[in-house]
Parts: sequence; C-alpha cells; structure tokens
Amino acid sequence: MEEDEFIGEKTFQRYCAEFIKHSQQIGDSWEWRPSKDCSDGYMCKIHFQIKNGSVMSHLGASTHGQTCLPMEEAFELPLDDCEVIETAAASEVIKYEYHVLYSCSYQVPVLYFRASFLDGRPLTLKDIWEGVHECYKTRLLQGPWDTITQQEHPILGQPFFVLHPCKTNEFMTPVLKNSQKINKNVNYITSWLSIVGPVVGLNLPLSYAKATSQDERNVN
Amino acid sequence: NTAIPICRNIACDCFWTTKDPGVSPSKMVEGLQSMLQLPPSSATGGEGLTEVSPETTTLEPPSSAAVSPGTEEPAGDTKKKIDILLKAVGDTPIMKTKKWAFLKLVASEQLFIYVNQSFAPSPDQEVGTLYECFGSDGKLVLHYCKSQAWG
Repeated sequence: MEEDEFIGEKTFQRYCAEFIKHSQQIGDSWEWRPSKDCSDGYMCKIHFQIKNGSVMSHLGASTHGQTCLPMEEAFELPLDDCEVIETAAASEVIKYEYHVLYSCSYQVPVLYFRASFLDGRPLTLKDIWEGVHECYKTRLLQGPWDTITQQEHPILGQPFFVLHPCKTNEFMTPVLKNSQKINKNVNYITSWLSIVGPVVGLNLPLSYAKATSQDERNVN
Repeated sequence: NTAIPICRNIACDCFWTTKDPGVSPSKMVEGLQSMLQLPPSSATGGEGLTEVSPETTTLEPPSSAAVSPGTEEPAGDTKKKIDILLKAVGDTPIMKTKKWAFLKLVASEQLFIYVNQSFAPSPDQEVGTLYECFGSDGKLVLHYCKSQAWG
C-alpha cells in the first residue's frame, strides 16, 4: 500500500496563495481570510445563484473562465444595469459560501460551505442535496450523513456544512504519486478542489488546470 | 473485481482508444464517466470480464496498432469527433485481455477523470472544450482513477 500524501499547514497556505493568485488573474473571486490572530486562515468564495439555476443566471460563475465582477460590486448594481443576472424575485437568489480550511487532525484541506437566501434564511441540507450533481447523488446517498455533516466553523464559530475529509487521502494519493512519477508539480488545492467542489455545486474553471504546470518550484 | 481494457500499441502499453468515429465534442465529462462504468443493473456483472454489447459502448480497441497518417477517412467525421485516450492513474487495476470490459464500481466508489493528469473537470464540462485546452491532432488524453471517495 502506498504511503499517504499528507500536507502540512504551511504547505497548505502556500498552495492556497498560488491558487488565489490564479483566481485573481481570471476574476474568480477567491480570497484569503486570516484568523483574528493571523496565525492561520482560510480561503473563501461567495457566489450567487438563481435557485433553479441555469449557468447563465449565475452571478460571477466562471465555468468558462470569463472575467466577472467581484461579488459585492455586482450586487450593488440595479438589476436593470447588471448584464449577468436575470431578473428574478429576490427570494429566489441564493448566496453560496465556500470555505477551504486546513484540518490539523486529518492533515488535509476541508471544504466548508453554506447557502442562504438573501433574507438570511439558511438552506437546509435537503435543499443542498438538490444542488448536488446527478452523477454524485447515487453514491453520496449511500451514506449522506457520513459525507456531508453540519459542524461549527473552526474560525467563525458558525454552523456550516462540511464535506468529510476522511477519504481525502484515498483519492488524492494516486494523483500525487502519479505526478511525482512524471516529475510534474501539482497544486494540491487545485486538484483537490476540482474533485470535491462539483459535489456541492462549486465548479472550477479549466484555466486552473493549466496554471499549475507553470509553477517551477518543487513540491515537498 | 474491476477490469479495464488496455491495448498494446507502439506508443504505450496502457493506452486504449476509441474506435472511429470517436466521441462527440459536445459530450460532457459525466457522460464519459458513465461510458466507462458498468451500469448498476447490468445482468452480466460477474468476476470482472463482461462482453461488451454494441449498444452500450463506442469504446473498442483499434483494429491495428499503428495509426497511419495516410489512411483515408471521411474528413467531415474526423473533424467533428475526438479520440479519447485513457490512461490509468495510481492503483486502478489494469487487466491485459482480449475481452473488453468496463470498470465495476461498488457503491462508495467514484470514477474520476483528469485532464493534465491532475485536474478533474466538472461533470458538465464539454469534451470539446477539454480538447481545445488539452488536446491536439484530434486526440485528447485523459487519466482515470477509481477511488473510495465518500463516506
């Protein structure tokens, strides 16, 4: 059995920094938020979506790498002037928040997320499930409570849904071992997020896939 | 108990490729994932080898190892379709056999497909877009891996 590939917290932060650098280049709205004492922090992205959402109705969705407005700016525009949002009742707009934190106990990144309507009403887990892509539903439904749980955000102290990290090593290790074999640098965060993100409605633009191979530094 | 077909060709011993006419550019990643997996209700799911029935697949070994540049093919078709070259990552078993089968996954397993060997495109990403970014000469190399991912 091959050795598992864990990452330390410093390495996690470095990968996040590289990830955010590319995010800024393509206008994908990820940002780093340090904790109060700045010893650690997390990556965060907010996007808005119309509930029965087609791609066109995503505010700032950049599945094809299009530049988009930063979330807050776009939302301040009157609906008529905003080119990316279709006219819709405010109650149908959902705000999704995705946070990437480091888990010291599992030594891997963890995806926290929550969603709410604009009036602050949170989405239930059942609502979240409706947003899970069909191709994952069957497998996830085998054991949903093992996979998506509700936990307190370690830094914010608020309830978030969490994609459980216990199997992260299992699906990351083959990818990382393979990249070592071919002597290619891989951004752990980019790979990991490309795998887990779509499960909860977060799709990374393809340009992230190319950004990593331009990094010449060695991976530990 | 999984098996995935491989084909020996001159370039590499763990490639297998779609037979003409290839995969439509508008096919999405989730469609590719479905193509590679045995349907859950498949009656022929056995110890690992299954005869491929014509209506369930367009993935077959090429009839000859070498691709000859001078082959006459209908130009219109080859321009529209993309050959997918699939390569295993990690521990996903490879079985060398003349019979062709697809991956059989247990409930908690997921089949992952990667571009650039490390990035999983989202399920509704179109193959044509992947080809524009990562393919050339009508071919797109994808890596695949079967993993326990959830729960």
